[in-house]
Amino acid sequence: MPAIFPRWTNTLPVVLGLIAPILGAGAIFTVWYWFSPQYTDVGYQPAQPVPYSHKLHAGEMGMDCRYCHNTVEYAAVAAIPPTQTCMNCHDGLVRTTNPGGPYEGRIANLKKSWETGEAVEWVRVHMLPDYAYFNHSPHVAAGVGCASCHGRVDQMVVVSQDQPLSMGWCLDCHRNPKPNLRPLDQVTNMNWDTDAENYDPDRDPERKRKVNPPVHCSGCHR
Amino acid sequence: MSFMHRSFAAFALVALAGCWGNYSESPPVHLQQNMDLQERGEAQERNQFFEDGRVMRTPPTGTVAVGFLKDDDHLWRGMDDNGKLAATLPEGMTLDAELLARGEDRYNIYCAPCHGEQGRGDGLANRRVADGFAQAPANFHDEQYQPVPLGYLFKVGSEGYGVMKGYSAQITDPKDRWAIAAWIRVLQVSHGAKKADVQKQLAQAGNAPTKPAPAKNGAAK
Repeated sequence: MPAIFPRWTNTLPVVLGLIAPILGAGAIFTVWYWFSPQYTDVGYQPAQPVPYSHKLHAGEMGMDCRYCHNTVEYAAVAAIPPTQTCMNCHDGLVRTTNPGGPYEGRIANLKKSWETGEAVEWVRVHMLPDYAYFNHSPHVAAGVGCASCHGRVDQMVVVSQDQPLSMGWCLDCHRNPKPNLRPLDQVTNMNWDTDAENYDPDRDPERKRKVNPPVHCSGCHR
Repeated sequence: MSFMHRSFAAFALVALAGCWGNYSESPPVHLQQNMDLQERGEAQERNQFFEDGRVMRTPPTGTVAVGFLKDDDHLWRGMDDNGKLAATLPEGMTLDAELLARGEDRYNIYCAPCHGEQGRGDGLANRRVADGFAQAPANFHDEQYQPVPLGYLFKVGSEGYGVMKGYSAQITDPKDRWAIAAWIRVLQVSHGAKKADVQKQLAQAGNAPTKPAPAKNGAAK
């Protein structure tokens, strides 16, 4: 009687038992790791038309975020400042001790924008999909720090995306906002240390109402 | 290919793919673009429909949006009925702790970078530049700023003066600019205070504990 199974089927137990699980686990790991917004989105650091350093302005000079992003408290969008905001200082007030040096090259596009009226074409770093309706103002009003979503911008010479901005990431906080809340006057403070401060929003007399973020679909997908 | 070769190839693939948080100048890859970018104008976006490519439009010259007619000279320009710089807050604003707190908050955001938190003209932006700004920011405690009317502080803050540009575009609510003017007056009064003033205040506070401290009334001078 001839053999029902050919000889190569002897390797089947090894293939199915050892190699297939390894390949399967590898496929799962590949998708989990490299398809994750942690990989695809975090770290996006586009080159900007003007080499503006947040580390210098917000970090070393301690300027408040709202000096430039002035609409963040009452509008959905934290505005990218118009050239005029830069020109409050850079239209002659800031002097260089080294004429013709790197400073003038760095602000060349700014000067051009000021003279022609054309916008400086800043490259957007944080991009939510258009079907997610994000609004900055209730987040600021609830006491979510700028740094909670944008990272330590005061330490960034070139701004990069710090958090995945994925739906799961949003929901993590919407389901349990407490660890990301801080006193209402510390929202723009980049140095605020949530872990060290041991802050309890429920016991803050400055807070007029309880933070109750939506977790239903239409909270964000209107 | 030996096992060594294969593991090396696998390792090279992983190394090329990179890790979480690696910096990259190329935009995020989103395979499924369905409705990610919808054809609608969002704030500060580009739009080919308009010649200048901007979604956000400038209102046509000579038009006023409903409810935005700035016809109150006192509130919007700091001038009183006689066409002089107003000495008081505009109608509907009261000088209280809330207003001064707002003024302090806004002052520290928009004014302190140049004028300093104490108003001495020694802000960090000014001090960062070698030898300071080409034109030193005003020190509010200088003699020349001591008798200025409140409306002057409002007007300069809104429209600018000399090399300082106006801040009405950044601080859009005129009431916030009035609050800042009031806070600058607080800085002036508190820095110029003498021992006798404090004693007078304490005596008055003792007589009328419910009234706000007289130093803050300086804004209405």
